[in-house]
Amino acid sequence: MLWKDNYELGVPQIDAQHKELFRRVESFLQVLRSEDSWEKKLPKLNETLEFMKKYVVEHFHDEEEYQKSINYPGYEAHKQRHMGMVGYVQEVSRKYEQSNYDENLMQEFGGRLLSWLINHVAAEDQLIADYAKKRG
Amino acid sequence: MVHKLYRDFVDATQKVFNLMLNISDVSEHPSEDFKCDDEVDIVVGVVGDLQGKIVYRFPVSTSLNMVNIMSGMEFNAVDVFVASAISEIANIISGNVMTTLSDSKIQCDILPPEQYKLDANDNKKYEIATNCCICTIIGKICLEIRLNRAS
Ligand SMILES: [Fe+2]
Ligand SMILES: [Fe+2]
Repeated sequence: MLWKDNYELGVPQIDAQHKELFRRVESFLQVLRSEDSWEKKLPKLNETLEFMKKYVVEHFHDEEEYQKSINYPGYEAHKQRHMGMVGYVQEVSRKYEQSNYDENLMQEFGGRLLSWLINHVAAEDQLIADYAKKRG
Repeated sequence: MVHKLYRDFVDATQKVFNLMLNISDVSEHPSEDFKCDDEVDIVVGVVGDLQGKIVYRFPVSTSLNMVNIMSGMEFNAVDVFVASAISEIANIISGNVMTTLSDSKIQCDILPPEQYKLDANDNKKYEIATNCCICTIIGKICLEIRLNRAS
């Protein structure tokens, strides 16, 4: 499974969103990496991609609101990371549609998304929880 | 300076292995002749107070193991997906080092990671040139640090 319990922040709303996000990314990767032909994978893949695009924006927004509520000092920098990812996702999906659903573009996206998401949740989001704990 | 950069890259790599792959047993030694038959090489350009590049040499087996741990899926060849996941890891390690450097008032940015062809004839001289071999239970990687101070 993609999700690991040590990614938990101890903030129920954020943890629930992270789990949902990981579940969707995992099913996206499973379809992306399956042996089926590209044509066969496309409908499911595009559906998950569309869901993720919306869900990521929603989650980033809620997480930023939580940071504001605890006066997290890394708020601005963290917001930049989120914006960077949203920009990347938008750029890839635009290229992907323009290319008429090129497989290599999606494989490249999937690999980067995997590493980015794990690092972001395991390292950068954890700093929010560390701060919240210290603050008490 | 060479020593500090060497340390910063080792620390950043250890942190990434620990947090992303849950591997804490990581050792390191300077390495002048890292040998590997089949590897994925990623270059990350550096601009700013320091200028140059970092070359990350990931043996194929190390790369496949890393992506396997992250995804829980089996991979048997370095394809576009694997190369992209590994490139992002090189990007993350480099980015973490740039943050550490900015704490000591050295301001640098990194360029997007690119796949790279090692060139044995590239004998361009760098003020800061050091190689480090990082050993873990899922394999080794080698980092080649090549930087000049901006004049
Ligand atoms: Fe998050
Ligand atoms: Fe976040």
